[in-house]
Amino acid sequence: MLKKEVSEYFSNIMEKESDISASIAAITTLLKLLEHDKSETVQELDLNLQSAVEVITNSSFRITGVSSGCALFMRFITFAKLDNITFAECKKVMLDRGKVFLKKLTDARNKVAKITLPFFVDGTNILTHSKSRVVLEAMKLAVNSQKRFHVFVSESSPDKSGTEMYNCLKALDIPCTLILDSAVGYIMERVDMVMVGAECVVESGGIINKIGSCTMAICAKEFKKPFYVLTESYKFSRMYPLNQKDLPNNFIYSENNSNDDNSLSAHPLVDYTHPSYISLLFTDLGILMPSAVSDELIKLYL
Amino acid sequence: MLDVDGETHEMLLDNYISNLKRKKWENNYVIAEKTVQLFRHFIDTIQWSTTIELLNQLREYGFKITSALPLQFIVGNIIRRILNIIREEHTAARKSSEEEIDVQESLHKIVTSEDDVDDYNSIVPELKLSIFEHLDEFQIEIESSNEDISKQALEHIHSNEIILTVGKSSEVEMFLKEAAKDRTFEVFITECSPLNHGRQLALNLSKHKIQSTLIPDSTMFGIMSRVNKVIIGVDSVMANGGLRTFNGCHAVALAAAHYSVPVIVLAPMYKLSSRYLSSYNQDAFNEFVSPDGVLNYSDSVVSKVDVYNPTYDYVPPENVTLFISNNGGHSPSYVYRLLSEIYHPLDYDLSVHNK
Repeated sequence: MLKKEVSEYFSNIMEKESDISASIAAITTLLKLLEHDKSETVQELDLNLQSAVEVITNSSFRITGVSSGCALFMRFITFAKLDNITFAECKKVMLDRGKVFLKKLTDARNKVAKITLPFFVDGTNILTHSKSRVVLEAMKLAVNSQKRFHVFVSESSPDKSGTEMYNCLKALDIPCTLILDSAVGYIMERVDMVMVGAECVVESGGIINKIGSCTMAICAKEFKKPFYVLTESYKFSRMYPLNQKDLPNNFIYSENNSNDDNSLSAHPLVDYTHPSYISLLFTDLGILMPSAVSDELIKLYL
Repeated sequence: MLDVDGETHEMLLDNYISNLKRKKWENNYVIAEKTVQLFRHFIDTIQWSTTIELLNQLREYGFKITSALPLQFIVGNIIRRILNIIREEHTAARKSSEEEIDVQESLHKIVTSEDDVDDYNSIVPELKLSIFEHLDEFQIEIESSNEDISKQALEHIHSNEIILTVGKSSEVEMFLKEAAKDRTFEVFITECSPLNHGRQLALNLSKHKIQSTLIPDSTMFGIMSRVNKVIIGVDSVMANGGLRTFNGCHAVALAAAHYSVPVIVLAPMYKLSSRYLSSYNQDAFNEFVSPDGVLNYSDSVVSKVDVYNPTYDYVPPENVTLFISNNGGHSPSYVYRLLSEIYHPLDYDLSVHNK
């Protein structure tokens, strides 16, 4: 597969299948590459994969979620490499395991929804931010299990993804209200918990998510409302930002506005939420406290 | 021991449940012991060949008990622990090698794509024997847990310190007595109304030559500025590191936070629960008991007012400094790790059957 093909394949998934997260799209692309790869040695394969990762991360999409997915895939390849003697055998094993691997990753969202279910108590008001596929899935399962709750969705400028979330919830017949981003403080006293997704979970247990999440988290902390993060474990990423400035530019800006020389005037698209504002993380590995994230990452990468 | 001659499992279960409902065993420690004994008998008498048959039968009994007694977290903890012991022994016998057995879901497992999920559907010779050996260890652990906790007393209580405790807890009593062997310190005990168990503790401690002062619950905040440490017992530890404990403890924990006084919680491992508090309106978290004690029945006003007498308080994990269990000290953020060590994720929900 040529670089161009990789790029096209990846963009194709990203554009056409809105239900698939960027990490999964990247991993699917890399698996496809593995399938069509004609390299003869492990080294060659590694180089090919690495250049593909580069192509994906340099694509015009914002790559917050993609990087952890790619890192996870490379780790997967490393583990598969260790066990086998001949390259042909090795590749076969990689492909076989790759299928299991991808299936586990795609099952993650349902798992998260299931473990979140007991937290939907009848009559609760939930505040959510932007659009998250995991949160939507969890609410879908909850409403299908005859839970009664009301959702407040913040509009989430600049792309108004909250409106999209609002429409999805409406379509599922979940009672919901769209609020302004600036009304988060106003609404906080009426909600029982905040439930958001994450684009990326960092080593400290904090999250990188749609701009405005940090504001919501600080506000929730002040009002002593639990702040829950629903996320798949493949979004765990080996980064340790200490403040907003530590976030890489290609996380914060999309390609259109990152080329802008005057980055002060450009609008950031994500922010970093410190783990002390997060009550619990609901992942496919179970319900975790923020401190558990580094544990998982150390187990994997050490 | 249990009186089990000729009784069917159903009768034993009903007896056990009614004993608990009638609060025949007031002490959590006794409940824990009785539960282990009951399940030991079940493992011995259930007809099973594959491990999954045994597990499913025990889970069914466990589900029956836990749904009849949703407020007794301890019972569920013990049952899950026993199920985990069976799973561990099964896996250990199957793998036989020394490799580390990790039953928990982890990123590492996803990446290495191990898909050999054990369905426990095989016959393991001498499994019963190894389960019983492991259960013996578990029983000894329960028996000695209070002792093991009190052994750590000298690391936490220093000379001339002022300790505050709430009501009466057997763990705290033993802990303070152990420390008193080598150190002199002062203890403030809140009465913990309406049950006023604190009075009994004050009496027991003063008999033991520990300088103890009984204070009404209402003066707790005033005294807190002089206190060096708050040491309390607990009914159960929630999965997020929060506490379900006797009424009034949340106020004490908040007062302690106000004066930056460390709050130490004594909790043996069997009090670790896999449940979360998802809302203050959650079913099966708190219990309202007879208003006697809050208001006397003979009082004429009784028919004119509503009286509530809840049993428990929830203390969030950020108000707890340290847990001391029989295995040592742990911070609240570490509780999830302990949980994953002692319970199997498949057993969190006993109502769902494994394939």
